[in-house]
Amino acid sequence: MTESTAGRLSRRSVVLTVPLVAAALANAACSAPGADESSPTQNAEPVRTDLGDAPITLEMYAETGFPLAKALADEFGKQHPNVKFNVREDQFTVIVENAPRVLASDKAPDIIRLPTMVDLVKDNLLRNLDPYFTAYGWNRFPASQLVQLRVGDGGRPRGIGSLYAMGLGYSVTGVFYNRSLAQRIGMSGPPATVAEFEDLLARAKTAGVQPIMQFNKNTAGINFAHQALQNQFGDPARIADWIFQKPGATFDTPAALRASQTIQKWAQAGYFPKDANAIDYTTMVGEFQKGNGLFMFNGDWESANLDKNMSGNVGFFLFPGETAGAKHVAMSAPNTFGIGAKAKNPGAAAFFLNWVHTDPKAREITVTVGGSSPGGPPDLPVPPAAAGTVLAETLKAAQQLGAENGAVDFTANATGAIFASAITPEMQKLVAGQQTPEGYVKAVQAEYAKELSR
Amino acid sequence: MTRAARWSGWLYVLPALAMYAIFVLRPLGLTFQYSLYHWNGIGVARWAGLDNYLTVFTDGDLLKIIGNAFVLIIFFSFIPVGLGLLVASLVRRASGGPFGTVVRTILFLPQVIPLVAAGIAWSWLLSSNGVINQLLRAVGLGGWARAWLGEFDTALPSVGMIGAWVLLGLCTILLVTGMSKIDPALYEAARIDGAGPIREFLAVTLPSLRREIGVCLTVTVIAALASFDIVYIATAGGPGLQTTVPGLEIYRLAFAQRQVGLASALAIVLMVLVLVCVLPIQRLTRGDKA
Amino acid sequence: MRLSRRERLTGRAFLVALALITLLPFVSMLSAALQPRGTVPTGLAWPADPQWSNFVDAFTVANMAALLRSSLFITVGVVPVSVAIATMAGFGLGHLRVPGGRIAFGLLLIGLTLPFEAVVTPIYYQMRDLGLLNTRWAIVLPLIGLYMPFAVFWMRAHFTNVPQELSDAARVDGSTTWQLFWRVHVPLARPAIASLTILLFLWTWNQFLLAIVLVDDATERTMAGALGAFQGQWGTDQVLLCAGSLLILTPTLVVFLIFQRHFISALLQGSLKG
Repeated sequence: MTESTAGRLSRRSVVLTVPLVAAALANAACSAPGADESSPTQNAEPVRTDLGDAPITLEMYAETGFPLAKALADEFGKQHPNVKFNVREDQFTVIVENAPRVLASDKAPDIIRLPTMVDLVKDNLLRNLDPYFTAYGWNRFPASQLVQLRVGDGGRPRGIGSLYAMGLGYSVTGVFYNRSLAQRIGMSGPPATVAEFEDLLARAKTAGVQPIMQFNKNTAGINFAHQALQNQFGDPARIADWIFQKPGATFDTPAALRASQTIQKWAQAGYFPKDANAIDYTTMVGEFQKGNGLFMFNGDWESANLDKNMSGNVGFFLFPGETAGAKHVAMSAPNTFGIGAKAKNPGAAAFFLNWVHTDPKAREITVTVGGSSPGGPPDLPVPPAAAGTVLAETLKAAQQLGAENGAVDFTANATGAIFASAITPEMQKLVAGQQTPEGYVKAVQAEYAKELSR
Repeated sequence: MTRAARWSGWLYVLPALAMYAIFVLRPLGLTFQYSLYHWNGIGVARWAGLDNYLTVFTDGDLLKIIGNAFVLIIFFSFIPVGLGLLVASLVRRASGGPFGTVVRTILFLPQVIPLVAAGIAWSWLLSSNGVINQLLRAVGLGGWARAWLGEFDTALPSVGMIGAWVLLGLCTILLVTGMSKIDPALYEAARIDGAGPIREFLAVTLPSLRREIGVCLTVTVIAALASFDIVYIATAGGPGLQTTVPGLEIYRLAFAQRQVGLASALAIVLMVLVLVCVLPIQRLTRGDKA
Repeated sequence: MRLSRRERLTGRAFLVALALITLLPFVSMLSAALQPRGTVPTGLAWPADPQWSNFVDAFTVANMAALLRSSLFITVGVVPVSVAIATMAGFGLGHLRVPGGRIAFGLLLIGLTLPFEAVVTPIYYQMRDLGLLNTRWAIVLPLIGLYMPFAVFWMRAHFTNVPQELSDAARVDGSTTWQLFWRVHVPLARPAIASLTILLFLWTWNQFLLAIVLVDDATERTMAGALGAFQGQWGTDQVLLCAGSLLILTPTLVVFLIFQRHFISALLQGSLKG
């Protein structure tokens, strides 16, 4: 058949084509890629604080499984019928992967759920919100509310500089617990110290109850537990410095190491599910609701859902300190949404973000659907949650944390790729016994240093 | 044919060649160019020389990722070809008639569906509540039950098994078809010489199937080295970097981490690796006929 | 060759076992797809009350109608053009033997084993510069180019084997090259063209990488790309995921079962030559 000719041909033609390809390559290598490209120009429409009544469609990119964004969009559409929302949803891991590419395209979303901001700001993919900050008077908001959303010129450090995002709710994290399981192991109230918490874990294990239900597939859910410990074991300001990329900050600290050692200990003791690395977020929530797991490290965004599905059987506490009465420190972050640099309707998007913080109905939705504190000016009331719900508990915890000034951001937000490239794979190794606590801390810091050196 | 007529033949060749040049050769040249720069895909690129290649060959993670692709060859290539040979030599001509048609149709299903679907189906099969664990428990091996794609030791082999499932049917049918073309007289002769089934297999079957085996190996080795779809869907490269393959890493580096230069260097390395693996197979199995 | 009864039986038993293993994932997906929504299904278990309505939900959620339209558009954009220009090129290289044809063919051979990952990044920037990103053209155009090595190789193999006398006879009748191509050679090449069409249809329909990189909107992707998006959004709802996946698979399976003889021979030949 034909392969004889093909075989004969291929050898000679390969020889023939080598110089040709070389020529093609050399030709392509003339100019540096991207050299003739101007950085994406931001849509320079004048800043206005009225919406106008021209019909517009806002492109929104939100997270699957979190109905808040959609609920707010629906309500906004009701109040402002000229605005339609086109909502695209993906799981968080998918958004992390897609965000830069989607924001760089010509169909960049107007409003997007942001994984981490620094790299996006560095690459000019997000709109600077300072003009809106001034126009809408967001200086009336407590400064601490927006501090995590500020990024310095060129992407670092974070925590100062221009505003690049707002929160659809401001979340607090801690530990949810199953009340009937708690009763079974004789847990009378939330633990007051880390030691008490560990004692409860041991008692649950002995009683044949899964102590912690935690996900660790795709993204490291056990990092919730890790940072909860790290927050208590040292000065949280050092963690914040590291997250904000302050010069000289390092993850290689005694606190992080002790947290890693504790996680390793818990994993070896079977406090996490044996197949944690194969459990994703939704599965975790599902299992916890089914009563499989005494504790779950998670945030208030899940409160409304838990109230619905395990009504009355779920409680919440902020992770305790090392000593009773220690100041609480917990991860707390805005449910971050930004405006694409190439967004078609940045003005309307900013109007929406302002509306979310100030409209009474929107604030109510943020609490009842999102489970989170709505933020905004302190003189606006926080809509109450029904008594006896876990929602009421998480709202109270958020206020307590605010009063104690104990909020820190997530370590996962430190750099663009730290979560995907280091924390997740290394945490998966750590709980599977494939990585040592020392190795974990060093690997995370190494990735951090690598990214910052770019 | 006149010279003019032969030259005018270029009119026939040009459209195809133009599309190829624009959408394959030019991008290939650009990939090579990008690989010599540090570039985030947006701003101005910085000349990097061979830095990116150096990174590919020295970074522990990237080497592991390349190694993973080679481990997959065991599952994507050796298992389907080995098992296919076994089945083929048992089946020989037993696959005719309506029975043969039905079996053949079924074995071809994995070739027809998108790999994404294979990934979804097997993630479910291999999950903690999946059929595999259910079967193990049913036969009293509940202790072996595990989250196959989530554990360090089993994730890569499990991904490999998905590939084996996809490619097994194709290899089997190819080999069975090839075997049906072998002259029965060769087997008769071997039997008269007193050859047992194993000798028979080594002396008659294997040499006669050289070309088919070569085809199977070529197709499956490329599938293993350039795998993307299955891994993207089934494990997203985890746990750790246990199942990350070059294809996935190129995609991540280029589009999520915006290290276009490094992604491109890895892409060039991948392309070369495929060639280096596939050309000897071609030579071995087609050598005598060329 | 005579085979003993026992040999025949073991052979068949093996094939049946293999067939069952092949079918297992599909059956298992079906069993999950029929469980009540919101439950966590377990392995293979026929539900007491099969929820066929899950497929209706999946149909709506996945926006099946739009997906089908999109995949069809892409397929129609890619396959006929690819087949046409590859047939012409195969004719030019294999039959007309154009001067310097070997160089052209050699260039094409480079692409024969090329992993798509090797060129997807520049294609992305190329499409962005052309303003085609997030349109179906961003999938259509590169795919035509990427198929050329195989398609031309395939058609050239056919035309190389067509005896030269055939053309000489037609030349005597005063046919132009085009008439020769269109009236004599294309009809003769029909089987090769048919197989190529089937292969390109399958590859296009199932193309994943280009779809997820170049187009964000699932309703403007290929079927495989749409399935990827469906998993990206509903991956954690096992019941819906299984129902949706099976649904998205159905068109391919139907086409395959109708044309299965052609599909199998095309795939066999395709791999033998490729």
